[in-house]
Amino acid sequence: MINIDIGATAISILTLFGIYSLMSISLNLEYGVAGLPNFGKALFISIGAYTAGITYTRLLPLLAGVEAIHPCGPTMGGALQLRSEIMASNPTAGFINFGLTLLFAAAIAGAVGFAVSYVTLRLKEEWFLALVLLVGGETVRILVRGADDFICSHNGISGVAQPFFFVADPRSRALLFMLLSLALALLAYLYSQRLNHSPFGRMLKGLRENEEVTRGLGKNISLARAQIMAVGSLIAAIGGVLFALNTGFVNTNDFVVNLTLDVWVMVVLGGIGNNRGALLGALLIAIMDRFAQIGAIVLNMGGSDIEFNYVRFIGFGLILLWMLRYRPAGLLPESRLTTDAHDVVRRVIGASK
Amino acid sequence: MGDNLPPALLTTSLVNTIQIGSLYALMALGITLTFSVMKLPNFAHAEYATAGAYAALIVSLSGVLNPLVIMIAAFVVGALSALISHLAVFKPLERRDVSFYTLILASFAVGLIIRYILFTMADYFNLFDLRIAIPLRVLFREGTLILSNLFAWVVPTSLVLVFILTLLLNRSPLGREMRALANNVNLARVIGIPVERVKNYTWLLVGGLAGVAGALWGLQTAVHPLMGWGAIISVFAAAILGGLSSFSGTILGAYVVAFSENTVILFLNVNYGVDLAYKPAIPFIIIIVVLLFRPQGLTKLIRRAGDLGR
Repeated sequence: MINIDIGATAISILTLFGIYSLMSISLNLEYGVAGLPNFGKALFISIGAYTAGITYTRLLPLLAGVEAIHPCGPTMGGALQLRSEIMASNPTAGFINFGLTLLFAAAIAGAVGFAVSYVTLRLKEEWFLALVLLVGGETVRILVRGADDFICSHNGISGVAQPFFFVADPRSRALLFMLLSLALALLAYLYSQRLNHSPFGRMLKGLRENEEVTRGLGKNISLARAQIMAVGSLIAAIGGVLFALNTGFVNTNDFVVNLTLDVWVMVVLGGIGNNRGALLGALLIAIMDRFAQIGAIVLNMGGSDIEFNYVRFIGFGLILLWMLRYRPAGLLPESRLTTDAHDVVRRVIGASK
Repeated sequence: MGDNLPPALLTTSLVNTIQIGSLYALMALGITLTFSVMKLPNFAHAEYATAGAYAALIVSLSGVLNPLVIMIAAFVVGALSALISHLAVFKPLERRDVSFYTLILASFAVGLIIRYILFTMADYFNLFDLRIAIPLRVLFREGTLILSNLFAWVVPTSLVLVFILTLLLNRSPLGREMRALANNVNLARVIGIPVERVKNYTWLLVGGLAGVAGALWGLQTAVHPLMGWGAIISVFAAAILGGLSSFSGTILGAYVVAFSENTVILFLNVNYGVDLAYKPAIPFIIIIVVLLFRPQGLTKLIRRAGDLGR
């Protein structure tokens, strides 16, 4: 039998939960609230990870006051050692670097999301956006992979350590990173709840339900689309930064269509259009992911020949199909949105009856 | 302008274009057909090809080396997996009148399930990267250009199948009914076309052709659970070049995609030093450019009888 360290498992699940929440909340804002089918989620997540890959290799040495070493090729080992030493010994540089990474990633992804939404204006049919984003994400991945010097695409960049790397005790180090990712996820959740209940959020839902009517009411729908795509992409990129820091590794192979599908499974499972649903979906997928890994190890040690990772994908596909067919609104369906004025009116009418 | 391609390289790449293009055409026609008749962009389509390739592989490993039997096995398995995915997944969803995105998502899920079932099977029985065991014979050799009996199998088979499919669509009662469905489902139902039956036949046909394409693919390279998924975007690019509605446009599109993946990239490589690693980006770029600037695809250029819909 193997011993499962319950504490460590809980920490890793909750860390993953924070990271996945950022991704699912961002997709929920785009698709659940505004009706934009972002099948290019992996692209925006990858922007965060690539940004981390660049800041950790170029900016971090600069902040620590040493000369950067080219991260790829023959100097790879030296560069890795350099950034590990800085992260272990110079927390200030580590934190400034982390903050700037978040900032750059958010800015770049936000700008890309804003620009991409204008592509819809040119498309003949609405669902083409899904295709363009799906394909655009893969194109960028191939281009980045081809440009080797950018983030050492052939080997990937390792040693992309989390900012609490200087903490000596591994358990408290992991705990601090977990709190960080949960805090960022909480911020994103509070923000998206506010957005949901704001006039802007209601306009987005109007856009989702009927584009013509919303435009007829005098709303600038292309601007609204661009704004929500920018916000969603920005949150996804922050999730991408944490995703890279969590594995400590940046590699183009992680940002394939399957990652996009994972995020979609979270939102469909939890409840399309409901931020709490997005959180629930993220939590369930984080738990399933972790237990799939544990299950794989257990199976392997038991001498089974079945590769558990394959079973995981089959399971995800089945969950997705089951939900789409039997519970299309998700486990936590979107609740009816009421404004304060609406509540007052209902109370008055209710009292007079 | 830089140098021209060395002639040997050029002919090899052109042969590849014809070979790959024919296979793309077989699969892309299926996507065009599903999209027109069923209004479904099916991302699981490539997995029918993979399933067919595995059926062919298993038959050939069991000692049956008659190519006809192998192709029939591939057709049957591809057709059945397509029909099952329709009956189990797409039909119930369509009945609920779900959104386009739900259908796309469902097709991804179906693809995921088929792909990883094949993975599990291949892993269990050790069936990775095996070639369908039809013996290789060299038919023609001229410098670096070698044509084997595979070429003689792949190209004529796919061309004949494409031809038969076109005939079927334009001249047979079933084809007429399919076109009616593509044009207006409700009207088709009103005039007494058995809509569900026509849909079932369409799925069988589409899946079967993909299965044969997969088997032919497995003849020239090796069979792997990812082989279909790896080609899906190229195949979609071909269908989109056909405007997702035109048969002739889709066939032309398939060869255009294959040509740019084989000959154009070589040309760019020789003249401008473009790395061959960028080859997979080509169909992506084709899709984006076509959707943005010419969503009707090549249809207006070659409008003919046999266009579906519209």
